[in-house]
Amino acid sequence: MADDATQLRVRLVTPERTLFEHAAVSVELPSKSGYLEVLYGHAPLVAELGAGDVTLHCGAEGDQRYNVSWGFVEVLPDRVTILASDALKPEEIDVARAGQQLDRGLEMWKKAGESEEAYNEALRVIAEAEAKMASAADKR
Amino acid sequence: MANVLDLRRRIRSVKNMRQITKAMKMVSAAKLRRAQERALAARPYARMIASVLESLTRRVDIVDPVSGNVRHPLFLTRPEKRVLLLIVSGDKGFAGAFNANILKTAFQFIGAHPDKEIDIEAIGRKGRDTMRRRYPVAAYSETAEAGRARLPRQHAVEVVGDHPGMLGKLETGRVQDLAHSVVERYVGEEIDAAYIVYNEFKSVISQRLVVERILPLMKIGIPQIAGTHEPTEKEKERAAEAALSAGIPIEPADTAEAEEEARKFGTAQVDYIYEQPAEELFAGLLPQYIFSMLYHAMTESVAAEHAARMTAMDSASNNASDMIDSLTLTMNRVRQAAITKEIIEIVSGAAAL
Repeated sequence: MADDATQLRVRLVTPERTLFEHAAVSVELPSKSGYLEVLYGHAPLVAELGAGDVTLHCGAEGDQRYNVSWGFVEVLPDRVTILASDALKPEEIDVARAGQQLDRGLEMWKKAGESEEAYNEALRVIAEAEAKMASAADKR
Repeated sequence: MANVLDLRRRIRSVKNMRQITKAMKMVSAAKLRRAQERALAARPYARMIASVLESLTRRVDIVDPVSGNVRHPLFLTRPEKRVLLLIVSGDKGFAGAFNANILKTAFQFIGAHPDKEIDIEAIGRKGRDTMRRRYPVAAYSETAEAGRARLPRQHAVEVVGDHPGMLGKLETGRVQDLAHSVVERYVGEEIDAAYIVYNEFKSVISQRLVVERILPLMKIGIPQIAGTHEPTEKEKERAAEAALSAGIPIEPADTAEAEEEARKFGTAQVDYIYEQPAEELFAGLLPQYIFSMLYHAMTESVAAEHAARMTAMDSASNNASDMIDSLTLTMNRVRQAAITKEIIEIVSGAAAL
């Protein structure tokens, strides 16, 4: 197990409150352009987050997972700060509501027609709903 | 002169009233405590968004050097011809001059800009009711293909929308939607600037009314205050007294350390790798920044409303106590007078024998 000197301090902040502050060996982040994993000593990075799971690998303590949708992350060599518009624990996700959201997204997608904006908006809704459903189904 | 029975009845009714105002005060105090916590908890996020945006604007030119385009339409400034005014008031009354002051500030703002077209959007029921009475509601055509399309405006000042019940249960989703719609209107050139009127709340004794410009963005991280109204010393004293009797700490909790910590977000003196190009980051960050400003204004306003109600109800309870005292005094006097009169009658009756 990694000693304290090589642990990342991870913070997850939502508009309402600071959700948690925890030490971890590594973090997986759902960046907008794909998942990335951050270890201790990572180069400074600022990235936009998409919808997906943030996973903290805490060594012996086991993993922690949060479903986040949209936000930003700042990575410093010893610190990771996640600013998420919305963050939920997998067990808090309301699957039925996520399903409705997916239907709504598909509906928007169908109606979008030629409008690029409406199309992107629909894709956002769909991505969020799918990420939530995947995260809820993937209970460990 | 009123008789003893009447006075006793009045005292009883004032006592009942005092009980109600006391209960309302305690309820407001509890709600204030919760609102204060929420306002505090929301600060790191707002602070972080502001600082990462600020550092990004420092590192990246707002204007793309190659194409000469501004990187995000929210940075564009136009002459202010049409202005959106968001008014954050309370949902309920019984809060002293809270709502009246907000509306007064809003009317002053409208009065000071007679040459501009002003769209009013009210958040909070009290503000909506007053604005609707005073100004016409903007006309929309519902039949248009694209949903709601604005018809040509008829008046200089129009009410474009309201959000009753948004403050009662403050949800980030709804505020997010509002921010989104404000941004959309600005980008679509429906408005040239956006201001928000709200009651800022630092602590029970330090509050002020603020007119803040949220769009266009000039300087990130520094609130653009267009006008303020501070409470008088006497009002402050009154509020402090009320807070003390309700067990609310007067000074705000010390958050300097957390603030400092949050301010560092995205501003370390290192070269960041930006995962996305600057345009994309701006496109994601700016609406979030607008959202965090709106959310901040609303959480503060909710806390201020409860504080105002608490103060008002404390004053009401005190007034009721004073009234009971003076009524009791009068009642005792009346009773004494009656007794004296009877004694005189008996004595003079006895003397006549």
